[in-house]
Order: sequence, then C-alpha cells, then structure tokens
Amino acid sequence: MADVIWCKKVVGGKPCETVNYLDPYCFWNWEGKTNCAECGTVYYIHMIQGHMYRGPDEKPGEKPDLSPLYADKPLEGYRNYYPGVKGRTRPYECLPRHIYLGKADMVKFSIRGKPVRGWRPQPPSAGLAGQFPYKWDIKKLSPEVWAEYQEKKKKGEVKEW
Amino acid sequence: MAKDPRETRIEDLPGPKSKGELEEMKMPYEEYCRKAFDPGNEWAKPEALKGVRWLSCTMYIFTPHSAANLAELGADVIKIEIPRMGDAMRHTSPFNEAYLYPLHDTRPMTGTGFGFTNANSNETFLSMDYHIPEMVDVFYQLVKMSDGLTELYRPGTFDRWKMSYRYLQEINPRFIYVWGGGFGYGPKVFGGSYDILGQAHAGLASITGMHEYMGGHCTKHSNWCIDWMSGTLISYGVLASIHWRRKTGLGTMIEFSQVQTPSRISGYTFPLYGRFGIVRQRWGNWDTQLCVHGIILCGKSDFPDAQNPQDKHDARYVMVSAFNDPDFKELCDITGLKDLYGGYKAHKERADARPQVEIYTALEKWAADKTRTQVVKILTDAGILAAPVMNDREVYECEHYRERGTIRWLDDPLYGDILLQSGHSVGMMTKTPRRTNWIWRPVGADNVKVYRDLLGIPLSKIEEWYNKAWI
Repeated sequence: MADVIWCKKVVGGKPCETVNYLDPYCFWNWEGKTNCAECGTVYYIHMIQGHMYRGPDEKPGEKPDLSPLYADKPLEGYRNYYPGVKGRTRPYECLPRHIYLGKADMVKFSIRGKPVRGWRPQPPSAGLAGQFPYKWDIKKLSPEVWAEYQEKKKKGEVKEW
Repeated sequence: MAKDPRETRIEDLPGPKSKGELEEMKMPYEEYCRKAFDPGNEWAKPEALKGVRWLSCTMYIFTPHSAANLAELGADVIKIEIPRMGDAMRHTSPFNEAYLYPLHDTRPMTGTGFGFTNANSNETFLSMDYHIPEMVDVFYQLVKMSDGLTELYRPGTFDRWKMSYRYLQEINPRFIYVWGGGFGYGPKVFGGSYDILGQAHAGLASITGMHEYMGGHCTKHSNWCIDWMSGTLISYGVLASIHWRRKTGLGTMIEFSQVQTPSRISGYTFPLYGRFGIVRQRWGNWDTQLCVHGIILCGKSDFPDAQNPQDKHDARYVMVSAFNDPDFKELCDITGLKDLYGGYKAHKERADARPQVEIYTALEKWAADKTRTQVVKILTDAGILAAPVMNDREVYECEHYRERGTIRWLDDPLYGDILLQSGHSVGMMTKTPRRTNWIWRPVGADNVKVYRDLLGIPLSKIEEWYNKAWI
C-alpha cells in the first residue's frame, strides 16, 4: 500500500487538484517534506509502514527533501508529470531497498561475505565499443570494496557456504 | 615376475585376476557415481556441443533459454542485442531490487536485473541493430559462419527484413532456424505471448490451484515455468535437427508456439474431454488419481520466531504419500484415524472426490497441533513417504543438493559471487557435463571479439558504427 497527496491548494483562483504519488520504495517509512509537482506547495508528512501517520501539513517557504516520483491530474484527463521533470518530480533510479525500511541498500557482498557487483556507479571499463575484459579486477577497479573484503576475511565473516 | 621382462603375465599386472575378483573389486555404486560425475570438476571434461555456433536474436526468458541450454553444453552462442539497451529482460528484476552493474560502458548507473540470470549463461554478447540496411550484410556474414539462429519476433518480421528461413537457407543450406513466439501461424498469428498468457490461454492455469469450493482460484505458477519449459523443448528440437543435418546435410526450420507447451504438460486433460466431454477441474495440492498423495497443512510452524515471513508462517506444509492399501492402513493406525480406514479400505474408494475431502480434512485436523518436522518424523518413522515443503533457503542448506552440485556458488569473472542452479540443476553427464562459466556479460561486451576477431572488421569501422549507435 502507498499513499498520495491530493493537492487542493488554491492557485490562481482554483484548486490545484494534482495527485502526487508517494511511491512505497522511498516513502514507506519516511518523515520529511515533499512537494506538489504542479504548484510546488511543500508538505510535511510522516509515514509509518506505508500509512500516513502525520500530515500532509503545508510548510510555506520551506524546501522539499524529496519530490514525488510521478504525479497526474485526473480531473484534466490524467495530464501528468513523468519521473525526472526538473523541480517537480525526481528521476527514477531503481534503487534497491533495505527490507522493510525503505532505505537504499547497495549490496557489495553476498550472504556468505564475498564481493558481488551490486552497487553503482561502477567505473567504466577501458575499451572500445562497450568491450569489457573477461575479468573483474576488483582490487584495481574498486579498491575500497577490496579493502573492506580483506577486513571481513580477517574477522572471519567470509564463509564457504 | 617372468624371467623375460618382455613377457606379459596376467598375474604380474595390477588389477583383478579373475572374474570373481573383478566383481569383488568393483567400487560400490554410490562411490562409482561420485567419481564418474565428479560435480565441481566439469571443466576438466570436454563439451558436447563445442564447435556449434548459434545466433540468439532473443529476449525475455523463453527463447533465450533455448540458446542458453546449448551454451551450457558448450556451443558458442552469440547473443545479439539492441545497442546500449540490451535485452528487455535485463531491465527486470524481482521487485526492482537485484541488479548487477554496469549494463554498459555508457550507463554506469544502470544494471542488469536477476531476471536475466540462467537464461543467457556462457554466451558471447554482441550489440547490433540488424534491421537497418547498413548492418544486413554483417548479419548475413554471421549467418554464413553459424549453424543456426533463434529469433522471437512477430511472425513474418524477419521475413520482411529478408532474414527468415527461406532467405537464410539460400546463403547457408545447413542453417537451422528457430522461430519461437506466442501463437505461430494460424488465426491468432498476430498474438504476442507471455508466460502467463501461455498458462492462461492453453488451459493450464484453469487446472492449477485449489477448487473454488475450497477457496481456491485458477492459479499461475509464481515462476515463469512455461518460458523455461518451452525453451528447453526448443533445445531438444535443435539437437534433433543437428542430428538430422548430420544425416542429410540440410538445415531445418523449427516453429515453436509458446502456447503449445502448457497443453503438452496438461496430462490427461484433453483425452478425458474427448472421451466423456468432462471439463477438468482444479484439484490443487491433492491428486485426482491417487489418495493419499498430496500436501497437507500442519498447525505449527517449524520456525515460529523467524523474521522472514516465508519461514515463520509457511514452514507448515508436508507432502504425504500413502496411496496403496497397506500404507494407508499404517497411516490411519499412526494417526489414530482408524474409522477412516474402515470406510475406505480400497484405493478405488479413496480416490473419489468426496472421500478425499474427508481424508485430507481428517489428516489436517490430526496435524493441527504439530509442527511440520514432527509430522514428517512420525510418518517416516512409520515407513510412510513424507517430506517437508521446503523453501529456497532450506534447499540451499540441504546437503543433498550441495553434494550433487545442484545449487552452487559461482565466482563470476565479471560480477563476483553468485549463487545459482542453472545448468547444474538438470541431469548429470559423466563424459560431457553441462557447466556455467559466467552468468552473463554487459551489453556489447564482446563486440570487438566478434566484429574484429571473427569477421575481420577493422577497429576504425567498429568505432564508427559504435558512435552511430548501430552497434
């Protein structure tokens, strides 16, 4: 389940009537300020497990922390704002989330503690026309993950199964 | 030892000296199998399809899997993808959460999702917009030096591009051509398909799940089993075609409609309708031919304190099989359901619908105060076949699968530590086992390898095509 903010702010003599979708990946457990994609009104909300615990309360003059991903106007034939409209909606980044917490969780290690390339951005490989070498040289390409891996090995957190 | 060292005497040779001794020295069957199959050392053995080159103009799971089957057996499969985008399946991932990065040099923030896994193992990844006139000749060059191709476009698309079987067999008469798609020619020629559409359209979903009177609905499988199955059936067709070509020197066209597969695996459904006009109904976790032979629900979870809901709430199902009369008697004895046995001594009395409802209800009532493990133990101790319904974590932790190499960790050369089953989860072969060398590679990762090393195209040309996004 996710919630929406149906913006009723009167702008230019008529209500805004924009539905701002609070996608569960980012807003599931979230407290902060978000904006209406159409009129820019900033709302404070506090969501717990996908439910609107507090808000939306208008916060005039304040800046939003996070924009909705998508918004539309159902009373005007579903005229909409797609993801990534500057200043209105945020870009779709497909971020993996931590289970239940709604926070981005970039995986660097598998469940047995060995490195797996589940984070971004990845450094581009030097080559022509998308050519990739046959080996991921983790030590050279991602030295910080390599160092973390060595630490894990020392602590005995790397297993065979 | 004989006086003359050149003389060979049976008693001097190592090994058995008589047929009786030979029999005695044979290793136990278990040990023989372990040595013969030797999971984990597949790479020391040859590959059955080495030397076969296959082109894969495919997307999603169904047709890619047909080519991955060949690649796991050693064929050189060249997967041709849309430049900089790749197979649409790369952009799908369970709940949009499991990606491996990067997708392509120019897209460091985009990854390939786990939905792509197992359907494209061991392949060579080429990018090419083969439908533009500038690249058609390059495509034909690949056809000339390949054994076959799999494509999945709407029927007639490749024909419009002059790339269908009737065109390609003129430049390579040994070419094996596979079209795999939704419906194929016929009244529904323009119908596209997905796995779920296949399950629905061919009647399989209508007989899956519990009966509506028991709160069930027609059900699709959570996984895309028809895609995986259809891909495998295509691979059988390809292997038969290769065999046919060895005898005749001629290629073949395989036309595989995905909606055929669910009807192929629907068992007696159609013959039953043909004989009686009976439309088969769902029977869910029980069996229409055998009783007791199904899955029952126990009252208590094996892992009541687990955090994962699948462990916490779902570790409650047991598969029980006691359909022959002595087993059923034992089951009734051990569960204290003696009255039940009195009513249904013969199997033909038990296999009807109403007795099944009564029997399974009584069994679940008996299991209501027990955990899954308790039920399995009680039944197996009594000599009755019973097994817990395990989830993937339990399969991962099960020693049986580990020893046989069914589920294993792969140190992927590009992506690191991956747990997978892929080709190791099909049958084992002593001489030419299947193997997974890598799960996949980024879009166009092998452009230079194919364009320059195989086709002899200079790097300057490749770079030019790349900058125009033709490759």
